[in-house]
Amino acid sequence: MSNGNGDNQGVVTKDDGVVVLKNVVKKFGENVVLKDVSLAIEKGKTTVIIGPSGCGKTVLLKHLILLLRPTVGEVYFKGERIDEFNEHDLDKIRTNYGFLFQGGALFDSLSVAENVLFPVRQHYKITSKSGIDELVRTKLAMVGLDGFQNYYPGNLSGGQRKRVALARAIALNPEVILYDEPTTGLDPIRADIINELILKMQRGLGLTSVVVTHDMTSAYKIADRIIMLHEGKIYADGDAEHIRNHPNQIVQQFINGRVSDDDLEVLRMSGTISRSEFEPLDLEE
Amino acid sequence: MLDVLGHKAFLGLHNMGRFARFIWDAITASLYSISNPSTYSLIWTQMHIIGVRSVPVVMITGAFVGMTLAVQAYDQLAGMGLEEHLGVLINVSVVKELGPVLAAIMLAGRVGGALTAELGTMKVTEQIEAVKSMGTDPVKYLVAPRVLACLLLTPFLIIFADLMGIMGGYFVSVIQFDINARAYWEFSASGVELWDVSIGVIKGFFFGCAIAAISCYKGFTCKEGAHGVGEACTEAFVASFISILALDFILAIMAKTIYSMFWPLKSLV
Ligand SMILES: Nc1ncnc2c1ncn2[C@@H]1O[C@H](COP(=O)(O)OP(=O)(O)OP(=O)(O)O)[C@@H](O)[C@H]1O
Ligand SMILES: [Mg+2]
Repeated sequence: MSNGNGDNQGVVTKDDGVVVLKNVVKKFGENVVLKDVSLAIEKGKTTVIIGPSGCGKTVLLKHLILLLRPTVGEVYFKGERIDEFNEHDLDKIRTNYGFLFQGGALFDSLSVAENVLFPVRQHYKITSKSGIDELVRTKLAMVGLDGFQNYYPGNLSGGQRKRVALARAIALNPEVILYDEPTTGLDPIRADIINELILKMQRGLGLTSVVVTHDMTSAYKIADRIIMLHEGKIYADGDAEHIRNHPNQIVQQFINGRVSDDDLEVLRMSGTISRSEFEPLDLEE
Repeated sequence: MLDVLGHKAFLGLHNMGRFARFIWDAITASLYSISNPSTYSLIWTQMHIIGVRSVPVVMITGAFVGMTLAVQAYDQLAGMGLEEHLGVLINVSVVKELGPVLAAIMLAGRVGGALTAELGTMKVTEQIEAVKSMGTDPVKYLVAPRVLACLLLTPFLIIFADLMGIMGGYFVSVIQFDINARAYWEFSASGVELWDVSIGVIKGFFFGCAIAAISCYKGFTCKEGAHGVGEACTEAFVASFISILALDFILAIMAKTIYSMFWPLKSLV
């Protein structure tokens, strides 16, 4: 099926992907953030979600792991409906996931090594000290932070924290990894290393990834499929080529980072900002 | 107007329900923790943070309570020529009532404040969600060790407060007011029953539980931002304070009932 722009608009069924959202609506009080989103995350593919700031990308991502429950709608994991599970049963499902939080969400009372080990300690009985040292070392090396084991999150830069959080998200070798802006706050080279890492895990280990990003370079590089979220709906859906040549103006403006004329008009209307307006004349004697 | 009241009442009930739910989760998680030795290290860490560092403040509180009681009560008893009974008055008040309550209030400020601030900050920086995202129950990981540590330690801290209160009272009565030390202790020993001390210590379990549960709940339900955390801390202290006083009242009534029911049997034994 198609909406005329060539977007995937098929009716999703519970077996269409590893994780499936069906007609999900999410409201916070009066604020409707997601209006009827249906989405099937395909196994072994990298799905990228783009969209303007505040459009609900993080909210959407949290629904995939049930950190938020839909107001209306259904969520499936491997064909099993999980949005009605209680927290205890969800905990078992969640061990199949890795989640990279937008702000990192590292435990600031634990060292970098203990942060990476946290999920391992929770689900396995650790018997060999050298084994876990090796595990921490490999995971940290993947994000270029081997040697930082004994640092505390408070002593790391924003980008370093993000990378430790990424190492923690992949510590259990999950099947599905959800990344909330993995490259934001990193320099271009480091960002590209993270892109390569995401690609490597997908190609080498067949992992399923969902990546929220504003970084179009990264999106084009890693995506098998790009979804644009706008005003609580899926606005465009297709591979990188499809999105790049999308006929819709709003999509084009977003991916090319151009403001619309309406938005510019608002800036013009506010007139010229002269220095004098900011000088505290009234306060002078 | 009625609408607003109705809405407030509804919200109040809703929050009560959420709190009850939280308490239930905390209890089951604590029972799980007790039956699971691998969680003992978490409890141990919390006991260290909560308990060891609270000892000095609790002791100081106790000492001042004892000393102040002595100063206040001396004139009244001396007026009736009963100053040698000072010990009973001071020590019963200290072990049964003032020691436990004031130590608990001290802990509500020191420990409760820290718990709410810590968990509240974890909430607003998504660390609690992060625990969940890794398939761990945050109530099991964060709340149970704190509740258990408070529950186990508050009675001990109360014993410390009691001891210091007794010493404070002794210091002022015997050294300051020159009461005969032998008489002071003899009257104390005959007046203070094991029952009085036990009641004080049992209160400690309840106070400790209340402080930890309320503070953790407020941290978990904290609103966004630095303001949210600050507000949660204030609310946690006020709620802990009131529930300590309310629990104290209820426990006093219960203790009195039990005492009058069973204590007469003692003479039969
Ligand atoms: N826990 C919450 N309670 C209430 N409202 C929320 C909550 N989480 C998100 N929202 C609202 O949902 C909307 C979307 O937020 P979201 O964080 O998903 O945006 P986003 O697309 O991730 O933006 P950004 O790119 O800036 O991260 C916002 O308007 C926000 O106010
Ligand atoms: Mg976001």
